Amino acid sequence: MSSVTAANSASLLEVEDLAVEFDTYGGIVQAVRGVSFSVEEGKTLAIVGESGCGKSVTVQSMMGLIPMPPGRITSGSARLKGHEILGRTIVNGKEIRGSEIGMIFQDPMTSLNPTMTIGDQIAEPLQVHRGYSYKKAFNEAIRLLEMSKIPEAAKRARQYPFEFSGGMLQRAMIAMAIACKPSILIADEPTTALDVTIQAQILDLLQDLQKETGMAVILITHDLGVVARMADEVAVMYAGKIVEHGMVDDVFYRSAHPYTLGLKEAMPTNDPSLQHELKPIEGSPPDLFSPPQGCGYCARCPYAMQICNRQQPDDTFLAKDHFSRCWLHHVSSSNKPDQLYFKEEAK
Amino acid sequence: MWIFILKRLVQGIFTVWFIATATFFAMHNVPGDPLLNDRATTDVIRANLEAKYGLDKPVMTQYGIYLGNLLQGDLGISFTQENREVNDIIRDHFPVSAILGILAVLFAAAGGVLWGALTAIYRNRWPDYVIMFLVILGISVPSFVVAAISQLFLVNVNGLIGTTVLPVAGWGTVLHMLVPAMVLGLGTMAYLTRLMRSSMLEIISSDFVRTAKAKGVPPARIFAKHQLRNAILPVITVLGPSIAAITTGGFVVELVFAIPGLGRYFVQAVQQLDYTVIMGTTVFYGAFLVFMVIVVDVLYGFIDPRVRME
Repeated sequence: MSSVTAANSASLLEVEDLAVEFDTYGGIVQAVRGVSFSVEEGKTLAIVGESGCGKSVTVQSMMGLIPMPPGRITSGSARLKGHEILGRTIVNGKEIRGSEIGMIFQDPMTSLNPTMTIGDQIAEPLQVHRGYSYKKAFNEAIRLLEMSKIPEAAKRARQYPFEFSGGMLQRAMIAMAIACKPSILIADEPTTALDVTIQAQILDLLQDLQKETGMAVILITHDLGVVARMADEVAVMYAGKIVEHGMVDDVFYRSAHPYTLGLKEAMPTNDPSLQHELKPIEGSPPDLFSPPQGCGYCARCPYAMQICNRQQPDDTFLAKDHFSRCWLHHVSSSNKPDQLYFKEEAK
Repeated sequence: MWIFILKRLVQGIFTVWFIATATFFAMHNVPGDPLLNDRATTDVIRANLEAKYGLDKPVMTQYGIYLGNLLQGDLGISFTQENREVNDIIRDHFPVSAILGILAVLFAAAGGVLWGALTAIYRNRWPDYVIMFLVILGISVPSFVVAAISQLFLVNVNGLIGTTVLPVAGWGTVLHMLVPAMVLGLGTMAYLTRLMRSSMLEIISSDFVRTAKAKGVPPARIFAKHQLRNAILPVITVLGPSIAAITTGGFVVELVFAIPGLGRYFVQAVQQLDYTVIMGTTVFYGAFLVFMVIVVDVLYGFIDPRVRME
């Protein structure tokens, strides 16, 4: 599989060939079909893709958060600092979740327990993982709320989630996720449920905290604007697979996969020099009950060739850390659309 | 909070007044009267008795007198049990019904929450199937059948062991109370189990439970701190009416187990058209129900902070 992970053997987190299925009444859904990526210490990896492409399932299966059954991890591994974490929550006698990996979710309004005070909820991982007394944990919770820039933290810690606004709740969620100083923070669409001005504040906060604590961030999003602002590395996911992966500049300025291009063309911009007509990606993602034999994007791809329908493309490396999974990049393909980036010698 | 309680109390007083009025006129519209039995043998005796009990006055006047007495806490004298005040009947027999009822409710609530949570956690596995089968049984089998079967069971157990482990009927000690309380609470427990199951299923798949898992909180703590308290809210909502229903609806069980509770007098009074006892017990039960609902609403506020603030 991908040699990106193999090349950087000292990565903080290495995920290899992860595949997840769900049993449903309609049959087996192959939500994630062989995903590999790695996360470097202190860096931000963004996983981008539209709804249902498997980006949330990827991280939730790593965290043991998908219900099993009906969910099932059919293959792959995820190694945190060299230790396998897939299918287990405790490594070396230590709980991974909440202490090594923190996680925040899309909708802060429903992601907090309505009958527990904010402070108690932030204190909880400290009590569980660090063995803090309630009082010590609660005081630390107040400090964490201050760190998350919540005014009057001591008073706020004694309030309940319904007394907070959405943006404040997401700050509290972040405070909770970083309470035990995890080495990775997974942010699963952290700003999707918030309005735009609050989004910006939350992203700023995440960046500040990342600088302060040196943690790595895995950012799940469908918003390319968020990616451009936050990410060091980007993985573009489609139909349960990563179709393009690279440094943020590679993916944005040297987009090599037709899907990445499609996403970019469908993204509004407020920079007049980049003003263009928004072009939606026609059609809908493939049915993952019976995934296509060939490339998942084939049916919607403007550059589709005959081979695309029949056989899975391989990763083609365009740079050391930049690959695209597309037949157009195959040496024998003569079709090289100008809009896409190709290796110099391939032209 | 105090304003909230006060408001509910005022509302409650109106409710009780409405119950009293409705019962009063419904009762007077039922054909016959309390003197129809062998006591009023001649017209003269009947006229004297009517004068004594005030039944010769127009209905509206009787109503006025009744309300006046009610306000002073005087529920009147029984028409059929000579010289026995309704207040005394309630005072003597309600505590028995109340103790039985409270035990039954405790049993029903504890059982309902426990079984409901269990079925939700073991959803679609054998503990779920077994318990839900028993729940359907508990809901559909009437309490007098369960009461009779449990008595039969007790007789056999006592016979087998050779000494009275648990008394089959009667009242007096804690041992007397156990089996009737369980029988009385069974239907409510079955109902609460179903309620708790559906509520718990919703909570189990909720976002904040996922958050707790992502924090690495151990399952037992998730259950106690995150799931139970939130899932229990709908159960508490119906607990007030349940307490009242159990306490007031216990007369079948009281009869089968020969327990001297208030239920028997309530039913007897209706059969004999004993006006004052019907009114007294109905109004008392009505007030009790209203009070329990208020208590539960206040309790709800302690468990759910969102309600407390409003």
